[in-house]
Amino acid sequence: MKFDLSEDQSLLQSSTRDFFAKEFALEKTRRVMEHDARGFETPAWRQIAEMGYPGLLVPEAAGGQALGPIELAIVCEEAGRVCLPGPLFDVQLAAATLAAAGKQDALLRAVCAGEKIATIAWRNSPYAGEAKQTTHFANGRVKGRKYFVPFAGAADALLVTTNEGLALVEGPFEVTALPTVDLAQRFGEVTLDHPATLVGPLSLLERTDQLAAVGASATLFGIMAKSLEITLGYLQTRETFKRPIGSFQALQHRMADMLLRTESSRSAVYRAAWCLAAADPETALACATAKAYTGDAARLVCAETVQMHGGIGFTWELDVHFYFKRAKTYEMHYGSTEAQLERVLSAVGY
Amino acid sequence: MDLQLSPQHLTFRDELRAWLKANIARPWREELRDPKHTEDSLMEFRRAWQGKLYRAGYLGMDWPSEWGGRGATEVEKSIFEAELALADAPPILNILGIGLLGPALIHHGSEEQRRRFIPPMLEGSEIWCQGFSEPGAGSDLASLKTTATTDGDHFVLNGQKVWTTFGPWADWIFVLARTDSKDRYGGISFILTKLDTPGITVRPLRQITGESEFGEVFFENARVPKENLVGKIGEGWRIAMTVLAYERGAMSLAYAVKYGRDIELLADACKEHGRLSGAVREKLARLVVENEVMRANGLRTLANFADGKVPGPESSIEKIYWSEFDKRFRETAIDLLGPGGQLLRHSPHARPDVDWAREFLWSRAGTIYSGSSEIQRNIIAKRVLNLPQDPR
Repeated sequence: MKFDLSEDQSLLQSSTRDFFAKEFALEKTRRVMEHDARGFETPAWRQIAEMGYPGLLVPEAAGGQALGPIELAIVCEEAGRVCLPGPLFDVQLAAATLAAAGKQDALLRAVCAGEKIATIAWRNSPYAGEAKQTTHFANGRVKGRKYFVPFAGAADALLVTTNEGLALVEGPFEVTALPTVDLAQRFGEVTLDHPATLVGPLSLLERTDQLAAVGASATLFGIMAKSLEITLGYLQTRETFKRPIGSFQALQHRMADMLLRTESSRSAVYRAAWCLAAADPETALACATAKAYTGDAARLVCAETVQMHGGIGFTWELDVHFYFKRAKTYEMHYGSTEAQLERVLSAVGY
Repeated sequence: MDLQLSPQHLTFRDELRAWLKANIARPWREELRDPKHTEDSLMEFRRAWQGKLYRAGYLGMDWPSEWGGRGATEVEKSIFEAELALADAPPILNILGIGLLGPALIHHGSEEQRRRFIPPMLEGSEIWCQGFSEPGAGSDLASLKTTATTDGDHFVLNGQKVWTTFGPWADWIFVLARTDSKDRYGGISFILTKLDTPGITVRPLRQITGESEFGEVFFENARVPKENLVGKIGEGWRIAMTVLAYERGAMSLAYAVKYGRDIELLADACKEHGRLSGAVREKLARLVVENEVMRANGLRTLANFADGKVPGPESSIEKIYWSEFDKRFRETAIDLLGPGGQLLRHSPHARPDVDWAREFLWSRAGTIYSGSSEIQRNIIAKRVLNLPQDPR
């Protein structure tokens, strides 16, 4: 038994951390987030593709890295730490789904190489509620409307849920942007009346959902770990009443609780990643647990970060709101807490 | 990463599991409900159970072989605790002796002390209690005032200990006493004392559960032979810290097993009573999530042990986690059960699965004993986060 990462995994972790710190530091990316309509720049995306991240989960024969859930968690954790803008995680999930569907062709190769963007479109309503399928597949065409499609404005292809199964649709698309509070993310509403091919049943998304839970909870873990670090630095240096504010027990005990949630998140995330990689019988429970727990934990840690910074914490200028907002995206999407709690109950037979 | 037990540990687990199956007639929760039992008879039952475990080689597994050790590590110990929880085995009676004093004697005791005290401790023929807390020294343990003055070849003890778990049943107590009034830490010594020594009075204290599992111990010129000093004069604080490090060892996995079973029983009860609304389901799901995160914490600690890593002050996180969760869980349980959740064990209509009312009350203890949640947060703030200290 060993909780620590293997040598290769540690190497992936340190190289990813260095790469993101150098190329995607917030002081650099926040300009893109604020001003670029697509939410990312093509040269930066190419750099990410050169690292092999988009096809991380895709077999080598199809142009990917053939890595697994633990490596996904490692990269996502680091992406969370810098609030990485852009479609990386959404593309990773779409690529893994395409590969699982056996669509290992030129499109997937181009996605892995960063030449094309593909994401998954599955929401039939902008609000949570009845999941009635309103997108239809018939006679080689998909018709309908999808909401909160990740990076729809940049997408060359979409994997679309329909009444007949999962359909692959190639652009261009008619997209209405749906700006949210999270500047690192872009969502769109897509109206579909396109030629399409069915790639498989919707059950293909079951494994994607588990990968999404692992990757999203790892991102949330990275977000809260970094947020906690920033807060710790502030508490050690900011003085009031002639002493560092970190010496006040009122803050110390809350910091201890934030660390408890952060470290417990680390345990839950990597246990889930390991379960999924090892096809452990506890996989469904561990994945849903990780996502449900880290959603709550990140919200708490990032909110406490804003609070403990006081007035400056409420400013646009300081970085902490990026983490606070990013945490909300990841808490809601990739299987909301509510959805994960249902999965937890079904995993324990209730 | 690898969170799977090694083949060697799996063998250990399977053997233990089979042994427990063969040697536990009925789950402890059923034993507790048997009207033939009294508090005393339950203690005797636990003493007999402990003897059985000892003779089968399951106690002191990680101690040197002359004391029953079998080269086990924290990994086997964690598996042992988790399997006892899974089997709903009776709790080990001499837990303070084996869990706390044993390690103190092995690390700091004399050869004579080990030979004299360890075998009856393991067998359960001598039960130990811990004399640390005092009316004026709880979280601030080093302010303790019980004194041990020298008189020839004896110490003379005066003072009072309180919240002494098993005090009413114990034969012996390990006492932290002041041998120097001026040296806050270096003036404390660790002394083994027989409770029937003249001048010692033990009084049970009734707890909020109605039980008297702890008590208070009064010392009035109680004379203790000097050979019962562990380590040297003034080493008591250091020894106590060794002991407490063991007390805070990895228990998350065993707790997750125990709570997991009780959550399942709670879910069954909710089904049985037709409690299936969204509000009920969400509460149950959140309990499962929190418990599974505790299991993940436990697996991480276990894997780190197997990987040769020793936990440091971050083990305070596990203590806060399980004890605070226990309170939330037990509160939620009696809320979900409705009025019947508050019935006493032998009341008509009391559920046969878990003594929910007792667990609810008992859960208030975990965040107080063995370093309160507040003390654990201080430890985390100071020793893990390195936050600046209060200048007072």
